[in-house]
Amino acid sequence: MSQRTDEYLRGVPLMPYDLLREGLTALLIVALVVVALAAIFSSPDYPPVRSEDVARLQPVAYLKTSASFLAGTSGIDGYGPPYTNDTANAQSVFGLAPASWLGVRIPLDPAQDFVLKPLGHAAALDPALNDALSSYTDASSDQQAAWVKAYLAALDTAQVQNGEVKLGSGDYGPVAVMMDGMLRLGRGGLLEGALESDAHLPYSLDFTRSLLFFQDDVDANVASSLDMTGDQWGVSHETGGYPGAWWLWPYTFLYQVPFIAVSDNADLLIGLIMLVIFLLLVFTPFIPFWRRVPRWLRAYRLIWRDWYRDHGEGRPEAQPGGSSPGSRDSPGG
Amino acid sequence: MNLTRRAQSVLRRNFTLEDLLPTRMPVYVQSVVYLFGVSALSAFGMLVLTGVVMSLFGPEWYHGSAAGRFVNSVHFWSVQIFFGAIVLHLTSKFLMAAWRDGRWKTWLVGALTFGLAVFTGLTGFLSQTNWDSQWISVQAKDAMNALGVGAFFNTLNLGQVLTLHVVVLPLSVAALIGIHLVLIRREGPVKPIETLGGADEPADR
Repeated sequence: MSQRTDEYLRGVPLMPYDLLREGLTALLIVALVVVALAAIFSSPDYPPVRSEDVARLQPVAYLKTSASFLAGTSGIDGYGPPYTNDTANAQSVFGLAPASWLGVRIPLDPAQDFVLKPLGHAAALDPALNDALSSYTDASSDQQAAWVKAYLAALDTAQVQNGEVKLGSGDYGPVAVMMDGMLRLGRGGLLEGALESDAHLPYSLDFTRSLLFFQDDVDANVASSLDMTGDQWGVSHETGGYPGAWWLWPYTFLYQVPFIAVSDNADLLIGLIMLVIFLLLVFTPFIPFWRRVPRWLRAYRLIWRDWYRDHGEGRPEAQPGGSSPGSRDSPGG
Repeated sequence: MNLTRRAQSVLRRNFTLEDLLPTRMPVYVQSVVYLFGVSALSAFGMLVLTGVVMSLFGPEWYHGSAAGRFVNSVHFWSVQIFFGAIVLHLTSKFLMAAWRDGRWKTWLVGALTFGLAVFTGLTGFLSQTNWDSQWISVQAKDAMNALGVGAFFNTLNLGQVLTLHVVVLPLSVAALIGIHLVLIRREGPVKPIETLGGADEPADR
């Protein structure tokens, strides 16, 4: 052994040991266990929510989501950094708002990015849609808002007949034609492609807009039906009852604490608490009282029970010659 | 100063083959808790192995074929075993106050490895390209954005998430595990509390 180890283990009986045998045995057992678990239980692979499915199965929800971007009521409107400039909405604790420090790094204009630009691509194939888009963009913002408001109100009482959304009469201007265009984009399976069309096509690997599009009501409803929302301890499990990141239960637990859960700054507050807990873990050896906890718990007496039974509580005398193999070569020797 | 001679001296003082590949252990190393670390290491090996296979064949394969789904499932359960073993390892080492007798570096590197493994696990959940990753990505973005991390780590950017998960983070975790193992072999297993002495001060040697 090295000089360092010799010095440390002087007087301690040794036993035969085979590091490689132990490692290979553990690897074999773990491999057998995970292969057996995979063979018996498989793994979760629930298909993603696609615009095509939402447009076909929940056309009203699809249209409400689309119109919310024009109305300025989507989850992205007013989100703040890194998407928009509304720093007032950035989460803050004790006046600190880390989200604002680096500003808008992923700029998003909800109306443009989620509706008008995708429709602009579709308009190349549809003159009526092109005319509707022109009418909308040429109108005053007040007029636009009035059309969208009337359209959203009509959706609340809309009827779906043979997959067609029937609206009551009202002044929707060109918005009805535009939203019909959005619905056809979705049903054609083209929405995701149209949303990401400003990226580095055909090599885009950034699906920010596609994933944000349904993040509000549609995704939340699917998650709720699958017991995956935050108040359902969503992080701890995956779909189908499979285990998820259960090791993050302290993180998930904090979202169940009433005064934190209702806070507008819950994400930042919980993130900071987890950061403190992690630092406490990392620097355990240096933190007074906290590093004494194992001595108070005395669980080590169970872990080393054989040693305490055979060698008692006292400090053994150092044996001449250090940790020679002859001092003790077998567990029972 | 001869750097090579100095390196030889440092290695000679700190490492021997008996340290790196020991054939003897103190008799107090007789508990199931000493198997948690090697179990986590074995699960990490399975994660790397299955991860490499999945990288070779690609997402269409591990979503669309029976063989691919099986390898994906082995990867999934290896994650569960890995974190199960690492949580038990961490908990038992805390209960043993295993940072005693100058082993604070081993503890610190181990805790950092755990933190990095958790982040690696998150990027894995985000890389599944199914509903779970879709939902987790829109949820996790709020936490990242609130902390300011979202400015340079976008949970919705699959290119960034996937390359972090299959290259940068596994290599970083492997490097930390390597340092952790070298420190463990260099220091040897910490003595039982009280009976053999050993202060709990981190810088006592």
